[in-house]
Amino acid sequence: MKTLLIKTHELWLETLMTGFASQGETRIKLYDFSEIIFRHFTWLEHHMVTQGEAYDYDRDTIPIKTERLGVLLDDIGRRVSELDFQLMACTDEHLGQRISSDLKYISGTLAKMNDVAVTAFDGSRKLDGITLTREATDALTLFLFEESYKEYELIMIYNYLQAHSQDAFLNRIFQIMIDESKFHLRSFGQMMAEMGILGVPRTIHKSLYQIEDVQQFLKDGIEEEIAAKEMCRELSDAVAKDSKELAEFFDFINFQEDYHISLMREALVHYEKLATDG
Amino acid sequence: MTEVDADLIAHMSDPKNYGTLESPDAIGVGENPENGEKVIIYLRVSRTEQEPLIEDIRFQVIGCMTTVVAGSIVTQEAKGITLSVGEQLVAATLGMLENVPPEEAACSEMVALSLQAAMDTYRHKQKDPNFGTITYKITHSCSTEEKQ
Repeated sequence: MKTLLIKTHELWLETLMTGFASQGETRIKLYDFSEIIFRHFTWLEHHMVTQGEAYDYDRDTIPIKTERLGVLLDDIGRRVSELDFQLMACTDEHLGQRISSDLKYISGTLAKMNDVAVTAFDGSRKLDGITLTREATDALTLFLFEESYKEYELIMIYNYLQAHSQDAFLNRIFQIMIDESKFHLRSFGQMMAEMGILGVPRTIHKSLYQIEDVQQFLKDGIEEEIAAKEMCRELSDAVAKDSKELAEFFDFINFQEDYHISLMREALVHYEKLATDG
Repeated sequence: MTEVDADLIAHMSDPKNYGTLESPDAIGVGENPENGEKVIIYLRVSRTEQEPLIEDIRFQVIGCMTTVVAGSIVTQEAKGITLSVGEQLVAATLGMLENVPPEEAACSEMVALSLQAAMDTYRHKQKDPNFGTITYKITHSCSTEEKQ
């Protein structure tokens, strides 16, 4: 089961990253598939939690740098086949069958996708229709690398918290935070692909998601969100004279952080109440 | 602000030696006591040479991208060198800290100290196989405000 979880994690990420690197209908389908595979991941994880099986979010690095989409699609296809084979190790027969059925459809659809040139790794650092100064381009590049990892980290942290919580109030908040981070990761990933600097986020250390003190994590998280707001504001200022559209996008991300902070404060109050009520 | 070039992008998009080693000979940690950020270095040391040699190295970061880049650069240089040359690499890295911005100094110091911690852990483990993991704390602050 542990290998199954790791392989599903890797397949989810490669499918998502390939979605960033692709265009049009292919991108939409790959996003849908990545969401389906992420749900597989959470179901497998839930099964392991209920069975009391130890697991973590360790995985191998995922090489994706290529000039042809076909190379990535073939590699996803290979992973899908391997995963389908690994499903024999799934101790929940019905879950295994459900995942296998999805994988067969995904595999068939991947085979019909066109092999096209990929520019997501060409390092051009240019956005369509926008000319940024060197300084603004550098600031945007650093921001995208830092924050794309951060969003991936948050998805995994809140997913782990949700997998180990039976509290409906908290799980609602965790799910919103996962969805918000997925949206941010997709926005940043698409921008990185357009700039030719797409990279798979690095693996996460266990101590980041196997959290001993959730209240402290939330307090630190609120501070980090406040810092992220400031980074968005600075970036918006840096690009404003070159692109009103880009500046507005980072203002939008900035104001979304307010909502995250409110949710984290709600969660914190809830944890404090739980501690007080015993 | 940091100038971005192709080398920096390569380290950010695909950090070299990132991850863990299975059954490492030693682990060392560099930690920022201000914010809990950490670098963890895993070493595989060859004992066939007259002097112990860093056969393989991996690192993990709980921290920012600047630390990841520093880890990628330092571990590339550390791979394949003896422990005594490793000491020189640590000393050279620490010697450069006064010439870089505070936030970069803290990150580089954390990487250098984690390598030092891993090498020191290895030496202790030669005498006591049950010896744990050494953690060294950095002295530079990555907060620019405190420096002003």
